[in-house]
Amino acid sequence: MAAVTGWRRSGSSGAVDDLRRLAPPSPATVGSPRRTSSASGGGGAASNAVQVAMARLEDEFRHVLSSRALDLEIEALADLTSLSMCSDRTNSADVAEEAAAADEDDSVSSSVGRRSSYRSLRSIREIDLLPADAISDLHAIASRMAVAGYGRECVQVYASVRKPAVDSALRRLGVEKLSIGDVQRLEWEVLEAKIRRWIRAARAAVRGVFASERRLCFLIFHDLPLSSSTITTATHDAPFAEAVKGAALQLFGFAEAISIGRRSPEKLFKIIDLHDAIADLLPDVSDIFAASKAGESIYVQAAEIRSRLADAVRGILSEFENAVLRDPSKTPVPGGTIHPLTRYVMNYSSLISDYKTTLSELIVSRPSACSRIAPEGNENAPSFPDLDLADPDSQLPLAAHLIWIIVVLEHNLESKASLYKDAALSHLFVMNNVHYIAHKIKDSPELRGLIGDEYLKQLTGKFRLAATRYQRTAWLKILNCLRDEGLHVSGGFSSGVSKSALRERFKSFNAAFEEAHRVQSAWYVPDTQLREELRISIAEKLLPAYRSFLGRFRHHIENGRHPELYIKYSVEDLETSVTDFFEGCPPSLHNRRRSHG
Amino acid sequence: MPATDSSSAAAPLTSFGRSFLSHRRDQIPPPPPDHHSHSHTQHPSSSDLEIDAFHRHAADLLHDLLSDSNSDPSAPDLLSLAWTRRLLDSFLICLEEFRAILFALADSQPLSRPPLDRLLLDFLDRAVKALDLCNALRDGLDLIRQWRKHLAIAAAALAPAPAAQRGEAQIRRARKALTDLTILMLDDKDAGGVVGQRNRSFGRAGTTRDSLPHGHGHHRRSSSGGSSGSGSGSHLRSLSWSVSRTWSAARQLQAIGGGLTVPRANDIAATGGLASAVYAMGAVLFVVTWALVAAIPCQDRGLQAHLTAVPRTFPWAGPLITLFDRILDESKKKDRKHSCGLLKEIHQIERCSRQLMEVTDAAEFPLADDKDSEVQEATQELVQVCGSLKDGLDPLERQVREMFHRVVRTRTEILDYLSRPHNAG
Repeated sequence: MAAVTGWRRSGSSGAVDDLRRLAPPSPATVGSPRRTSSASGGGGAASNAVQVAMARLEDEFRHVLSSRALDLEIEALADLTSLSMCSDRTNSADVAEEAAAADEDDSVSSSVGRRSSYRSLRSIREIDLLPADAISDLHAIASRMAVAGYGRECVQVYASVRKPAVDSALRRLGVEKLSIGDVQRLEWEVLEAKIRRWIRAARAAVRGVFASERRLCFLIFHDLPLSSSTITTATHDAPFAEAVKGAALQLFGFAEAISIGRRSPEKLFKIIDLHDAIADLLPDVSDIFAASKAGESIYVQAAEIRSRLADAVRGILSEFENAVLRDPSKTPVPGGTIHPLTRYVMNYSSLISDYKTTLSELIVSRPSACSRIAPEGNENAPSFPDLDLADPDSQLPLAAHLIWIIVVLEHNLESKASLYKDAALSHLFVMNNVHYIAHKIKDSPELRGLIGDEYLKQLTGKFRLAATRYQRTAWLKILNCLRDEGLHVSGGFSSGVSKSALRERFKSFNAAFEEAHRVQSAWYVPDTQLREELRISIAEKLLPAYRSFLGRFRHHIENGRHPELYIKYSVEDLETSVTDFFEGCPPSLHNRRRSHG
Repeated sequence: MPATDSSSAAAPLTSFGRSFLSHRRDQIPPPPPDHHSHSHTQHPSSSDLEIDAFHRHAADLLHDLLSDSNSDPSAPDLLSLAWTRRLLDSFLICLEEFRAILFALADSQPLSRPPLDRLLLDFLDRAVKALDLCNALRDGLDLIRQWRKHLAIAAAALAPAPAAQRGEAQIRRARKALTDLTILMLDDKDAGGVVGQRNRSFGRAGTTRDSLPHGHGHHRRSSSGGSSGSGSGSHLRSLSWSVSRTWSAARQLQAIGGGLTVPRANDIAATGGLASAVYAMGAVLFVVTWALVAAIPCQDRGLQAHLTAVPRTFPWAGPLITLFDRILDESKKKDRKHSCGLLKEIHQIERCSRQLMEVTDAAEFPLADDKDSEVQEATQELVQVCGSLKDGLDPLERQVREMFHRVVRTRTEILDYLSRPHNAG
């Protein structure tokens, strides 16, 4: 390098001295942004010397800019664990949230679950990219060149040296060169991880790298007479914009690719995270880029991407609602237990309520009219419940969506319930699922707050209705065996009990109960408390009735032949058998267990 | 969203009543439900008419792009910046009409009913490939902008100074800038996979540039700029492509146009003619993206992709094939074969800078009058190229971005429509 430029470099101060020797500021050129028209015109030798000097200065500028750049720990800017470059506001609450155990029913993956804390740059942090003396040398060189009318060359060199440095910094932060096609081909779990990394990298890139680059450019160029035939208000930012534009577009390109991906429900929460991260960055992006024309387009693009992500959020929510509506009902879930769809939807809804801050801003319209009105050929579409007490003007659109989601879920569950051949099981299925829905709502204060107690009351009502129906369908016939009517041959109580009728009754009761016991033990009520309550309520009706029946009529049987054929069970036997109900496994296994225990 | 800059394209467009036609479309009511009962062979239904109009309109748009300055003095030259903007305008108009037709006829021809759903999804897949191209093309335009900056230095050095001041210093300064430019353009040719000339010597402007990179083959310039110390040429190799090493414009084009099959007659009948509209839109998408890749520098700019057997029965088939052929011819011309982009202005850059270098080669100072007027003339041209680039690049970039937006929007709308429950098949 020294050979090319022909002068020895004796440190940066030597370079500045050489400057003064080679390109003395002539009176005609100082302060004039124009080219050295008068100075170079007649005096060919002088202007030649200037040109040669400028060429050397250009090289010197390049040399200082590239060789004096500081070795920075760029990666630390985005490092989740290292706090050295991060500002002090760490959020330990977020960490606790992240570590919290996921719902054991959680069919939504736990990485989608709670909001992760993205500990990275929270505000602009300008870092020194070069030492101060190098910067002042660069400023001196740039100002000589600008005054001599060679500002363009200087700007060119600046951009050509800083651009690869910026690109390299972004590479070190983990920003990848992914095309839209690449992003489309990747599995969502892979993309989720990339989104997490991207959020950290973007904060470091915008608030650290770009902010620092802008400052460097400012320090070198801000007060210089940079000539341009079209002076815009911010020519001084132009070198910075040029150095950074490609990297910035590449950075935001990833977020853009995510925003135009296919909309599927699993993506909702990560996309909200991405949206929020960009919304959070926009003010800083504006600060850093809005000054120059080239930079402005970056701000515009970032804002566009945020808007697209908002659209994607709305679209995904719609897609989710449709998916719940369309979930096919082919085979009934065994044992009438909680359907996986119910768990999925309630977990999803719970998460929606967790994200309600952003979602309340983004979801501005109620569920679309065309989904609510029964479309042609689909007479069975659910209709929006008449919640007179919920004033449409005061109810958040998000809340309306949540209620709609549950309405749609219930509607879908109805068709799933109709798959059961056994009506009692069908009712039990409804009980299980509605109970679960109500339970999840009560469990989450946010969800409950959004959905409201009015709707919760409706759910409870539905539950009770299903419970009543179950009882009637499953037990009416059995309990009818224990009635008085039809057993007495003449009018009075104490005289004339038809023994044959009585024997029939006992036989019917035994058969029916055994059948119920066999069948309903295989049914499943997952919620322990509900299971117990159900058993208790059965026992409450069954045992007194049987006790009373036995008390009244047993002596008739015991006085006859083979009483054991008819009175097979004591009240205690029945009581024990009831505990087999709703265990989800056949009673024979139970008996075997009990005999061991 | 930035509005499309249509100021330069306004005149030819309205002269064909284009905007009128697209407004008219919105006023055509969808055909009444019982219309189809007597629509078949006797009288074309209004949907047939609309689809025919769409085909014919596409043909008109393509015809316009072929008009040369003999028949229409205001027509921009093929592959110039102004022409490329017209190309994009035409695409956007076509896309908008396509979209309008789909949704206007969606009641009678549900988009989710096979085979239309399959055809639409196929089209949307191809459209997504175009998005990556839009981004790459924006980088290519930025590259041209960088070249322009070097030209501007040379122009600033040489113009508008009167003869007395066009001394050695100015000439040297201009030559330095143009040398840097040439190296830059060579480097990008290398990265584009097109073999360019190397090892030129550049005379008196400075040291010989024999430190050019050798034997690169498919070397992609990394962004580290590690060889900044050696040779004065390598420092300019800083404009790395922002796509990955394996990304290829040629492959994107192949994905857009490859396998675009002519719709079968029963598919056309089953979809009320919309299948042919989808095919037409796919063909237009292909030829537009292909032309853009031909014009603008990007990574791996192979132009081998083409459409197979476009039936001449479509009114737009003729002009489409002619357009394709004309651009292909341009790419084979001797002086354009190794260019990094067929954009006319790129050719002008190459020509102007070469001309100025030749004219100032071994110049003696002070310049003789005839030499000086040669320099003046060459400078004039240079200034002109600079000017047309400055005016033309930014609007074109905005249009490319607009193309991106519209394709995304159309795709989102169609996908949303297909996924709604009452539309599910």
